[in-house]
Amino acid sequence: MGSLDAPISAENGTAPAAGHGKSPLTDGGMRPPPSDSVPEYELVKRRRSSVLPLEVGTRVMCRWRDGKYHPVKVIERRRVHGCGPNDYEYYVHYTEFNRRLDEWVKLDQLDLESVEAVVDEKVEEKGASGLKMTRHQKRKIDETHVEGHEELDAASLREHEEFTKVKNIATIELGRYEIETWYFSPFPSEYNDCLKLFFCEFCLNFMKRKEQLQRHMKKCDLKHPPGDEIYRSGTLSMFEVDGKKNKVYGQNLCYLAKLFLDHKTLYYDVDLFLFYVLCECDERGCHMVGYFSKEKHSEESYNLACILTLPPYQRKGYGKFLIAFSYELSKKEGKVGTPERPLSDLGLLSYRGYWTRVLLDILKKHKGNISIKELSDMTAIKAEDILTTLQSLELIQYRKGQHVICADPKVLDRHLKAAGRGGLDVDVSKLIWTPYKEQS
Amino acid sequence: MSRLSFRPRPLDIHKKLPILKSFKDFEDDEQPTSTRNSQLLRIVPEVEHEAHVQHVPSKKLASEIPTPMFVYVDTYERDYSCTFVQPTSYLRARGVRAEIGEFVEYDLDNEDEDWLSEFNEEREILTPEMFESLLFKLEVLDHKARERAGLLTATLGSPIPVLLRFETAIESLQAQTVKYTILQSVYEYWKEKRIRWLKPILRRLQPAPAVNDTNPYNVFRPREKAHRLHTRRMQRRENNVQSFEKLRQVRRNLDQAKSLLEALIKREEKKREVIESEVTLQRMQMKYKHETEFLEDNLALSGFTPFSSKLVSSEEEFFDSDDVMTSRLPRTRSNAVQNFHPYDSNMPMVPTVNTKQDLKRRLVPHGWPQKLDPLEPVLLFAKPLLPDKLAMAGILPPDPITKSGVSAQPCTFRGRMGRGGRIIFDRLNPLMQTPIDCGNSYYIPPKPRPSTYN
Repeated sequence: MGSLDAPISAENGTAPAAGHGKSPLTDGGMRPPPSDSVPEYELVKRRRSSVLPLEVGTRVMCRWRDGKYHPVKVIERRRVHGCGPNDYEYYVHYTEFNRRLDEWVKLDQLDLESVEAVVDEKVEEKGASGLKMTRHQKRKIDETHVEGHEELDAASLREHEEFTKVKNIATIELGRYEIETWYFSPFPSEYNDCLKLFFCEFCLNFMKRKEQLQRHMKKCDLKHPPGDEIYRSGTLSMFEVDGKKNKVYGQNLCYLAKLFLDHKTLYYDVDLFLFYVLCECDERGCHMVGYFSKEKHSEESYNLACILTLPPYQRKGYGKFLIAFSYELSKKEGKVGTPERPLSDLGLLSYRGYWTRVLLDILKKHKGNISIKELSDMTAIKAEDILTTLQSLELIQYRKGQHVICADPKVLDRHLKAAGRGGLDVDVSKLIWTPYKEQS
Repeated sequence: MSRLSFRPRPLDIHKKLPILKSFKDFEDDEQPTSTRNSQLLRIVPEVEHEAHVQHVPSKKLASEIPTPMFVYVDTYERDYSCTFVQPTSYLRARGVRAEIGEFVEYDLDNEDEDWLSEFNEEREILTPEMFESLLFKLEVLDHKARERAGLLTATLGSPIPVLLRFETAIESLQAQTVKYTILQSVYEYWKEKRIRWLKPILRRLQPAPAVNDTNPYNVFRPREKAHRLHTRRMQRRENNVQSFEKLRQVRRNLDQAKSLLEALIKREEKKREVIESEVTLQRMQMKYKHETEFLEDNLALSGFTPFSSKLVSSEEEFFDSDDVMTSRLPRTRSNAVQNFHPYDSNMPMVPTVNTKQDLKRRLVPHGWPQKLDPLEPVLLFAKPLLPDKLAMAGILPPDPITKSGVSAQPCTFRGRMGRGGRIIFDRLNPLMQTPIDCGNSYYIPPKPRPSTYN
């Protein structure tokens, strides 16, 4: 425990001043054991007062939710009650992790001993620290150097980070869950002053106070997304919502999704998109577990624009279900598709897993020669994606003047195992759907 | 896992690639392969072992991308009622809320609630539900008022004025069971808030930011793409005077092209008629040719003289050359005739006319072809007429002059056998002893032999 209390308590406006003694997280446990000698302590105190308040850009160690100290960089600071140099809290970025873990911390979570001299390294830092994950993650995810961020040039990335550097909403309540947000989302200016939003689980309207939500729930007549159900298997249902017919719902969904997607843009209106909302249904209604959006007419043969599994439902195979579903729609349309880029780290992971599983299953069974184009036609996966997948698995090799596909069952099984579980299967017979183009 | 980075070669996605089911396939031809490939081969088995060890932890790592957390909401079961029954058929979308009508889309926000609690002062003057409904109706009425006034701003940015007047609002809200004073207070509150916000307080009624608005905090702009049409040419076209003129020009051009094409069609139809009549002509020629041949054969067999039949064809030729001549003569007469033959200036015309009439006259009694079609085809080739053959057939060199009794001029006709076996008379200029119609390409006149008849 002892983890992310900071934003939650702060948002209630009842957070105690971030002074030493008053914090619920007591002094002793927090700071690294200082050497016992009094002069040392005095020294620390003096140094602290000299560095406080910390400047934006300062690098320091910070205690994270795992109880350990991690290097952070101060992104922003804000004053809490009082006006002394101690009365600040800091928005920090853990340089080892993705930006989604950035958070407001109190002074007593920071190890002031470790404050480094302020280096003006704003420019060259971004590339390295701003995006850094652990080396392991980096290697794992990025074996074929397709990471979302790297597809953006440095300038637009900096601009992006500048606008979205601090999460505006810290937590949301959505149905059964209270979820910490991951990223900034450009809610209307009326919501600038609040840290927690209450979403109606069905129409996705958002409110600032719980009572408002409760009043809304009494009148809200929706129990499922306001579109057509196009798939039902067990308790799982998929709804297709037209952004033009349900503008407010589409916009609400985008505001919500942006909280969990770094490189999603809300720049353009929703009426050119269809939203495929996956729900778990019970006696209370159809609860959204995730969604993907899709352009009605894509000029670049994208079959998916944004994809999100809500945090409480992650790692249960829903993401892969959504991906598989998007390809099933493409197959129905008789088209080949690919997701819009950039993909997030988690998104890429899911996609790689899906591609690997689908392609290797075919290769395992297939007899005789096969071309990439044929694979593409069978799976609706774009030829380029097939190539990068097979190449990254080193299954396409150049032998005696020609490319061959290596499909040793043992190798394939190993890759399949690494690709993870397939998640839930899409039962095509339960998909009742007309492509948008043909809908009257 | 060590990663071999070799330059990827271009791969044809249409080309069928062999699938190697086993590493043995690699081993087999290890010898001749390049060093790079054999290096690859050596590594592959290692990979097999290594990967087995490595993949487990790396997979674990992958699932450990840390994410922020979530907790359960304890009031959930109370807030959301268990009233949903899933129908057996797939759910269909209903109309949009705004269209259904009765649904109050507006949800009170913090300042509304604060104002309400102050307004109520512990008493229940106005319920939150009613307040919500009133604000919603005011918003909709105001929107309608702006719509009527044509003041619906397309884009966010400039302040959006409040158009709804209190009197109008009261009128429309009379049905509500709310006291006048309360309505007035709500209206005042709403108007004040609305003016402060500079935009409708119901999100659905707020206009989208302008397309060229670059503020990243403004979202959901209309996309140009929505209006973009399918072809590039159409994309470039705008709705202005210039493009109107352009389109008018296009229309004019198309009209011209249309009339041009119509004329062209007419011309081609005429051409077809010409061709058709030529074909009929040729058919008739063929028919007559066969008939004459048949006749000739019969005559030859019976020993009868094919006199009349031969004459017909020569008659035709007469007509032809005659037509040409009559149109030409006036010109030639003035210079050529007079210059070279001053002694007999009016001769050329007379015999021909007479001959023609004479021949006609001679023809009729024989009763051979009654029909003298001016379009009767001229056969292209003919062989010279043999005098002895003619004599055998009882044909003597004609003496039209004596018969007609008009002229004493010697005969200027030369007969010969046409290719179809018919007798053909070439007409010569009686004065010059040259064919009169040199330019006529229907036949090549034989060399004149002036000595014979002169």
